[in-house]
Amino acid sequence: MDPFATLGIARTFDVDMAAAERAHRELSRVLHPDRFVGAAPSERRNALEKAVEVNEAWRVVRDPIRRAEALMKLAGVEIGEDREAKPSPEFLMDMLEQREALGDARQARDVGAVRTMASSVAARVGEVEKELAIGFSRGQERELVGKLGELRFYRRFLDEVSAIEDDLSA
Amino acid sequence: MALFEIFDPKAAPRPIGIDLGTTNSLVAYVKNERPVVIADCDLEALLPSVVTYLPEGQVVVGRRAVAMGAEHPRDTIASVKRFMGRGADDPETRRLLPYAFAERGDGQSNAVRFRVAGGRVVTPVEVSAEILRALKAQAEDELRSVGGAVITVPAYFDDGQRQATKDAARIAGLEVLRLLAEPTAAALAYGLEKKQNGTFAVYDLGGGTFDVTILVLDDGVFQVRSTGGDSQLGGDDMDRALAHELLAKLGFDEGKQTPELVRLVLDAARKGKHALTVEESMQAEVPGQKRVPVTRARFEELIRPLLERTGTACRRALKDAGLARGELDGIILVGGATRVPAVRRYVAEVFGKEPLADIDPDQVVALGAAIQADLLAGHGIAEEVLLLDVTPLSLGIEVGGGVVDKLLPRNSTIPCAARAEYTTQRDHQTGFEIHVLQGEREMVVDNRSLARFTLRGIPPMPAGMARLEVTFQVDADGLLSVHAKEGRTGIEQSVSVKPTYGLDDAAVEQMLLDALDHGEEDLGRRRLAENRVEAGRILAATRKGLEADADLLESGERDGIERACAALDQAVGGEDPSLVHARIEALDEATKAFAGRRMNRAIAGAIEGKRVSAVEDRVRQAKGIEEAHARRSSEVR
Repeated sequence: MDPFATLGIARTFDVDMAAAERAHRELSRVLHPDRFVGAAPSERRNALEKAVEVNEAWRVVRDPIRRAEALMKLAGVEIGEDREAKPSPEFLMDMLEQREALGDARQARDVGAVRTMASSVAARVGEVEKELAIGFSRGQERELVGKLGELRFYRRFLDEVSAIEDDLSA
Repeated sequence: MALFEIFDPKAAPRPIGIDLGTTNSLVAYVKNERPVVIADCDLEALLPSVVTYLPEGQVVVGRRAVAMGAEHPRDTIASVKRFMGRGADDPETRRLLPYAFAERGDGQSNAVRFRVAGGRVVTPVEVSAEILRALKAQAEDELRSVGGAVITVPAYFDDGQRQATKDAARIAGLEVLRLLAEPTAAALAYGLEKKQNGTFAVYDLGGGTFDVTILVLDDGVFQVRSTGGDSQLGGDDMDRALAHELLAKLGFDEGKQTPELVRLVLDAARKGKHALTVEESMQAEVPGQKRVPVTRARFEELIRPLLERTGTACRRALKDAGLARGELDGIILVGGATRVPAVRRYVAEVFGKEPLADIDPDQVVALGAAIQADLLAGHGIAEEVLLLDVTPLSLGIEVGGGVVDKLLPRNSTIPCAARAEYTTQRDHQTGFEIHVLQGEREMVVDNRSLARFTLRGIPPMPAGMARLEVTFQVDADGLLSVHAKEGRTGIEQSVSVKPTYGLDDAAVEQMLLDALDHGEEDLGRRRLAENRVEAGRILAATRKGLEADADLLESGERDGIERACAALDQAVGGEDPSLVHARIEALDEATKAFAGRRMNRAIAGAIEGKRVSAVEDRVRQAKGIEEAHARRSSEVR
C-alpha cells in the first residue's frame, strides 16, 4: 500500500500535515461507515474496507516513524527491527544510561528530573526528523535506516516517561 | 413486555440518544430539527442510575431506588458503570462501597457479580440493562415507538467496557445504532449550536469517569485528534474523599463502618459537595451523628489530587494532538462534577483559557447522542455532519519476553485495521497463544488483558518456519475483533474479543431470553422487524443513488435494480423474515457494480475537492497564520 497515493499527497517525509489531514477528512466524508448505514451489505463492506485503508494511510503519514518506514518500503529498503543493522554500541550505551537515570528519577519520585530528560530526548527527536527530511529528499533511504532505529528508541523512552508521569501523579 | 415494538402502525419509530451515566442517565431525541431531552411523568429528565432489587423480585429504577438506598444498602446498586467490564478481583470492587459480591461459579467468567435481595445474583451488565429499559420506557411514553439508539460511553472506556455496554443494550431490547464517545457527543451538540470551526478540548468529568478529548471541527466534520482520561475517576471520588474525612471526624475507623453508615455518609458528602459549589462553608449532616463543619477551602484541598490526575491526562492529550497550552479555540465542560468551582479554575489553569459551559453539562452528552442517532437513521438534520473518532488506548499482542507489540497506536481514527506477522520460537510448535492487550505500557503485566486464544493444529515445523499473521480490526463502535492465520497451512481463527472480565455470548443470549416473555415467538417477530427496518433503509438508499448518479448506470442495469427493489418491497409487506433477508441479498447483488462506480466517483471527488481547498489554504496562509507559516517556511528546501 502507498499511503501517500491513498491520500493523494506528495510522497515525501516533509509532509504538509495540514494538507494531509484535510485529504483524510475529505475522503472520510465520503467513505465513513456512517455514510453507508442504509446501503446494501456488499456496498457497506466495500466502503468499510476503503475507510480502513484511508485511516491506515493517515495513521502512517502522521507518525514520523511509520512514515519513514513506508518511504523505505516504497524505495525497496528492507526494514523491521530484526532485519536492520543494530545501532552503534555508543548509542546503545547512551540509551542504557539514560534509561537507568530515568529509573532512578522514578524511584526518587523526581518529576523535574524526568521532565528534563524527556525534553532533551524530545529535542533530539526533532533533530533526527530534520536529518530524515533532508536524507529522504536526496533519495538516501538506505543510509537512513540507523536514524529510524534511533527514533524507535526515543519513542520507547518517551512512552516510558508518560507511564512514569501517570504513576507519579496517581 | 414485547421486546421490539418498532412496528406500531400508529407511530413511526424514532431514533433516540442515551447518555448512560455513572450517577444519572438521560434519553433525548431530535424534535423539529433540535435535540431535546425526554422527561418522565414527573417532568424530571435525569434518571438516577440506581437500581434496587426487592426480596419479592421487583426491580426499582431511578429516584425511587435512591430513596430505598438507606433501607436496602446491599440491594441498591449505584454507580454500576464503574463495574462495567471489570473483574471481580479489580481493586475498584474493593473500594468504599456497601455491596455484597457473589463468588465466581464453576465455568463462569470473572465478571463482577452482586448478591442482592432474594438470593439473586446480578452482573453489572444486567443492572445497566434495567436502567436502559427504564429509559426506553420513558422514551416510549413520549414517542410511542422507539427506533434504534445511540448510546454514549466514556471515550476512555476500553474494549471490555464498551462490549459490556452493548450487551446491556441488547438485553434491554434496544437496537444499538452506535456506541458514541461522550466528549464527541458533547462536541456535536456544541458544534451545531455554534457553527464555528476550530480546535476544541472537551473536559468531561462525570460521576465516575474522566475524559479529555481534543478535536478539530471543520465544516461539519468533527475529527478527534487525541483522547485520554481515566475510566475510574469522577465526582464520586470527590464524595468519597469527603466521606473519608467525615468518617474520620466522626470517629469511625474501618472496623466500625457498616454498609448503612457508609451509604449515609456518602449521601451527606454528596450534599456537601453540592452545597460547597455555591457556599463558602457548610455543616455536613449524617443522620444520628453530630454535625461536621466543612469549608470550601478544605474540600478543595481534599479534591486537589483528583484534579491533578485530570491535569496529567489533559497535558498528554494536548501533546498527542500536537498542540501547546493556549492554542485551543475553546474548552467545553461536560459532566455534573464540572460545576465545582475548583474544577473550572483548574481547567482554565491547565488549558490557559476560560471554559465554555453554556449548554447544561448534565444534558449536553444526551443531546449530542440524539443528533447522531438522527443522522444515522438517515433523517439528517445536517447532511454534512460526520464524527471521526479514535481508539483511546493502544492495542497489541504479547510477544517474547513478556513485551507488548503494539499493532494499533492510541488515537488511531476508527474504523481501522492493522496486520502483523510472527513466527514460532520453538521447533515443532503446533499452537500459537495469542494474548490481546490494551494499554500504553511496554510490559504485558502493566497493560489490560483483553483476551487470549490459541491457534491450534499447525503441523510441526522447525522454529521460525511458521508464518502467523494476526489482524486487528476496530469497528466504528470502537470494538475490536482479532483474526489469526497461519500462512503455510491456511489454518485460521477469528474472535470477536470477548473481554477476559466480561460475559460470553451464551450468557448474554440467556439473559436476552430471560428478558423475553414469549421466547421464540418474540424472537421471530424481532427478526422480522429488524429485517424490515434494514430493507427500508436499503430501499431508500438505493433509490437515492439511482437518482443522484443516474449517468453511471449501464444499459439495462436500471431495470434489474428496479425489479429487485419491487421484489423486496413485496417481501417487506409479508411476514417471512428469511424472504426479506433473501431479497435484500438479491438487491445487493443487483446494485453491486453500480455501487462500486458510485464509490469511485466519490473518492475521486474527495481528492479533487481537497486540491481546490489546498489552494484556498495557501491563500489563507499567505494572509498570515503566523506560527504555521513560520514552520512551513523553515522547512522549504
